[in-house]
Amino acid sequence: MRALLVEDDARIAEFVANGLREAGFVVDHAAEGDTGLDLATNGTHDVAVIDLMLPHLDGLGLIQRMRQRGVQTPVLILSAKHTVDDRVTGLTAGGDDYLTKPFAFPELLARVHALIRRATHAPVATQLSVGDLRLDLVARTATREGRVIELRPREFTLLEYLMRNAGRVVSKTMILSHVWDYSFDPGTNVVDVLVFRLREKVDRGFDTKLIHTVRGVGYVVKVA
Amino acid sequence: MSSRWRDVLRDALGLRLALWYAIIFVASALALVAVTYVLLSASLRRWDRDTIETALVQYARAYMIGGVQALAREIQDGNLAASPGPLFVRTVGPGQELVFFSMPQQWRRLDLSQLETPRLRGEQTWSVLDIGDDGNALEVASVRLPDGTLLQVGKSTDRRRELLQRFRRVLVIDLALVVVIALAGGAVVTWSGLRPVRELADTVRGIVRTGRTDVRVPPSNPDDALGELGGLVNAMLDRIDRVVAGMRGALDNVAHDLRTPLTRLRGIAEQALASGDPERMRGALADCVEEADRVDAMLGTLMDISEAETGTMTLHREPVSLGELARQTVDLYEDAAEAQGIALTTETPQGVLVSVDRTRLRQVLANLVDNAVKYTPAGGRVTLRAWQNDRWAVVAVEDTGPGILAEELPRIWERLYRGDRSRTTRGLGLGLSLVKAIVEAHGGTVGVESRPGETRFEVRLPLDGANLSSM
Repeated sequence: MRALLVEDDARIAEFVANGLREAGFVVDHAAEGDTGLDLATNGTHDVAVIDLMLPHLDGLGLIQRMRQRGVQTPVLILSAKHTVDDRVTGLTAGGDDYLTKPFAFPELLARVHALIRRATHAPVATQLSVGDLRLDLVARTATREGRVIELRPREFTLLEYLMRNAGRVVSKTMILSHVWDYSFDPGTNVVDVLVFRLREKVDRGFDTKLIHTVRGVGYVVKVA
Repeated sequence: MSSRWRDVLRDALGLRLALWYAIIFVASALALVAVTYVLLSASLRRWDRDTIETALVQYARAYMIGGVQALAREIQDGNLAASPGPLFVRTVGPGQELVFFSMPQQWRRLDLSQLETPRLRGEQTWSVLDIGDDGNALEVASVRLPDGTLLQVGKSTDRRRELLQRFRRVLVIDLALVVVIALAGGAVVTWSGLRPVRELADTVRGIVRTGRTDVRVPPSNPDDALGELGGLVNAMLDRIDRVVAGMRGALDNVAHDLRTPLTRLRGIAEQALASGDPERMRGALADCVEEADRVDAMLGTLMDISEAETGTMTLHREPVSLGELARQTVDLYEDAAEAQGIALTTETPQGVLVSVDRTRLRQVLANLVDNAVKYTPAGGRVTLRAWQNDRWAVVAVEDTGPGILAEELPRIWERLYRGDRSRTTRGLGLGLSLVKAIVEAHGGTVGVESRPGETRFEVRLPLDGANLSSM
């Protein structure tokens, strides 16, 4: 898969590009808006990550011109502004998703994958599995080694979210907004509590632990 | 003072007003003078003609009675001594022969043939002859007597003209005076009339120059338009002051409060580097990420507080059910509460609609419940209630925790204030400041009552009945 990154800050660009490469992307990087536009019109990218504050041509202008030229690549906007109005402006200009700085890289990666999934209309999965853990999304049941695990609705939602992102770290902010639809950190570790309970049911009594904590970043479901 | 006058002149509006004032003043004076002049001139003319006619009648009578001798005697006798100026008298017989002629020497050059002569007996005509270059004229009345004799009596207009000329000279001097008075009056009226505007401009200029927003426009009559403008500018300055103070306060707080986590961050990284132990470095890096997240959260909250306090926060108001918000908050915290052995419940009727920013109010309730859950020991209860009376929608968060000390109660809304008991728990110390700021930005109030075993936070939001009844 090919990703376009337009970001003028060298450190951030390096860290995002490296992360995307580790996740299996081929990354084209531009530090300026106009070169970004050239890359976007000439190459075929599966996704574009575009910063709003850019020299020569700003992010909004870049996205607008891309869309005018018929480039349909899904766009994830990066911005240091965090008000609702900026978000709305970015999305109406033709962006598909919005992420504010500072951000955790796993969140960026998850959003990038979600954009690609949406754009390619990936078939809706009815079953997810990681190792010997299976999740039936129709019957809404979880089984491990053939044993049924009783989950409360919210625990099921969290597990489904983690398993859809299997192998990728999911941040607390992402879980908060996905499970409870809260866009701010309420302080108390409500996420930790839920993950702890889920772990009690999914991993307790099994040799292989599936739910792992990545300190400072979030949680990941993977085999070993 | 002289610079003030220069200011008046430099100020185009003031100059325009003063000129208009002077123009109107002078124009009305001119109109008045013109009317007076026309009336005076007409009445002088009338007076001259009366004199001539009187003489004409008198001479005609004398001529009819005693012929030329009687006429000459009449003129000699100076019966008309009352009439000023020399008179012209000519009598022409029916056969065009000159019967009598009396005229001052200086008029000899006159071409008398130009005089209009009446043909019918008893008819009287008027004619005017120019005398010389000085503009004087001879006004002559002619009458045909019953025996066919033509009698003409005339009088020079020089007296009248001289009088009018003198009058005009006086008027010119008067008008010059009027112009001076008009200009001075215009300047004075404009200067005093525009004083509020000038004071306003001075104040604003001072603010622009010095950047000090604590000066105010001097108060004047608030009932007139300019006084009201001054009042409005003062109100605007007050608001700007508040915003600026809020921003400055936020900046100070940010600078001060970021130092602590930044110092911690630096310390963690430094120690880990010094230790050289990979495992310890890994842990330190994770700590750094967490600390950075905390800095970010603190920054966001500080910005939110200052935006809410200064009134620059954009509130996306929509009809929101407080009951629903309370249930969502319980939903968010129930696992955490259960894990701590606390019963978190809500007792709210359906509805209780208020027009608020949903996300912001969720933040308010989440912060209050977060505190309650944090400080209530196992086995305790946290309850959310929502209700409404005729003016307010109220939501209360009650807990059975240890309570807040009386001396700490007034300070809990302050930024970064953390009571003795809360120092050991995780938190930014900004939650309640944010709650207060958001609720007040909505036009509501927050209150707290506390004693050991029972603490109750109450949020009141104004009910906009007219707004919501249609929803």
